[in-house]
Amino acid sequence: MLYNCDRLKNSRKNCFKFLPYRWNKPVIVLVVLGFSVLISAWTYYREAIPTGTYQFIYPANFGNRINVPDDNPTTKQGVYLGRMLFYEPRLSANNTISCGNCHQQQFAFTDNRPFSAGADGVETTRNSMSLANLLWARKFFWDGRAASLEEQAAIPLTNPHEMGQSLATSAKKLSTEPQYPPLFKAVYGDDTITGERICKAIAQFERTLISANSRYDQYLRKAYQPTAGELKGMELFNTGPQPEKGIRGANCAHCHGGVKTYLELFHNNGLDSIPKDNGIGALTGLPGDRGRFKVPTLRNIALTAPYMHDGRFKTLDEVLDHYSDHVVQSESLSTVFRGESNEVGGKTLKLSPQEKKEIIAFLNMLTDKDFITNPGFSDPNIRASKK
Amino acid sequence: MKKQLIIAFIAFTGLATSLIAQAQTAATVKVSGEVTTPLSLSLSDLHQYTQTTVVRKDKDGKDHTYSGVILADILQKAGVIMNRESLTKYLLVNASDGYEIIFALAELDKSFTDRAIILADTVDGKPLPQGDGPFRIIVQDEKKPARCIKQVTSLKVLFAK
Repeated sequence: MLYNCDRLKNSRKNCFKFLPYRWNKPVIVLVVLGFSVLISAWTYYREAIPTGTYQFIYPANFGNRINVPDDNPTTKQGVYLGRMLFYEPRLSANNTISCGNCHQQQFAFTDNRPFSAGADGVETTRNSMSLANLLWARKFFWDGRAASLEEQAAIPLTNPHEMGQSLATSAKKLSTEPQYPPLFKAVYGDDTITGERICKAIAQFERTLISANSRYDQYLRKAYQPTAGELKGMELFNTGPQPEKGIRGANCAHCHGGVKTYLELFHNNGLDSIPKDNGIGALTGLPGDRGRFKVPTLRNIALTAPYMHDGRFKTLDEVLDHYSDHVVQSESLSTVFRGESNEVGGKTLKLSPQEKKEIIAFLNMLTDKDFITNPGFSDPNIRASKK
Repeated sequence: MKKQLIIAFIAFTGLATSLIAQAQTAATVKVSGEVTTPLSLSLSDLHQYTQTTVVRKDKDGKDHTYSGVILADILQKAGVIMNRESLTKYLLVNASDGYEIIFALAELDKSFTDRAIILADTVDGKPLPQGDGPFRIIVQDEKKPARCIKQVTSLKVLFAK
């Protein structure tokens, strides 16, 4: 009101005198409301943005070989901005899709579909990957083609069959949203919005998505006593079969080993003799890379169906059946699947139905409820509107 | 005229497919990092070097004879000089399946050890089997086979920081 009075170059007194004449009541109410909303929004962001170095918290047994680029240190304000951007549909061509559409927290940041529809309605060619413990990852995508989360983020943002918008357009669109320039200033020192800065902030947020409180983690810190079935499953998971010595195993840990159940390996796991999708082979042209895909983390695996790069298996039972009985021999099949069997001279694992159940019981121990309910990972817009 | 065009087309596609086929089979090992001459070694390049054989047991528990090139020779070709500074350097070896291992450079230095570490391409006189080759590191006498890394794609010399 005072502002308007100043503009009218009137004294306060005159201003109030003018009011009944020039302004009617509803307009005043609206103006006051508008200002209060703006001010509260401004103070909300001013007060709510935490600042300073972001401290990653994870168990010691996860190891410290983390992957944070020198030019994108993780800050609390960066993570804050990254989270907003992760759930920002304006980053898509039709303002309807955010990263969070194909990476939903309730499904450990997958979308429970074999393939995901992009902004243009066309489906992706590969299954949406879980986003957990990426802080330790060095190669991203099913074919490992991106060397950093920053590099990775740019691809779904711009792919016409995913979010389908150039980084320049995204930057331009965000520049017109009042909340973003001050946030970019808080993170990068000035309020310039660029594609690179968008990707960097998203990467910062993604690095915070740490899953480390499953029943398996609780077991490792002696806070959970697994059932007999879970223990048997864990043993099979970690043991390579040696039928001549009477040792049974599923050898899962060979590729999914370690506490993170992730070793950053890439294998042809015998899905097809002639793969429709060549995976890394499509990038290198080498016959040894044909049908070679990332061996994903098994963290929260019970929540991330369907399985494989093309989502061909709907359940963990189907996955276990594949590894036990249906691995397809081919020239490109990784050696770990050749001649690994619980039967002397067997070509595939040959697990019993009971063993498969036990392994699945262990896999269910990898579900982390805290991870899928952590409010810090959720859509901030939903939180704000609930308040 | 039409016939000539067809012939030209066939010749062109034939050439193109043979080029593609060649590109598909040309697996190489890249040598990079703290080197003066980065290298990209094909099988035939590797055969230009002095060949050394190492006998060691494989998963089957039997002795096998591997033939290849001493890693130090490859590094020398890339301009790596073994000196006091190299005591804080290491060689990072990557495989196409993402597996990676390291050797301290001193482990590869003949003045430190007689143990041979080679980049092998044959076993018992035959090319390495698919899944192991075309290039595999063989570490003489090491108890565990974990550093006998298969399907090697890159050798990178780095400083310990």
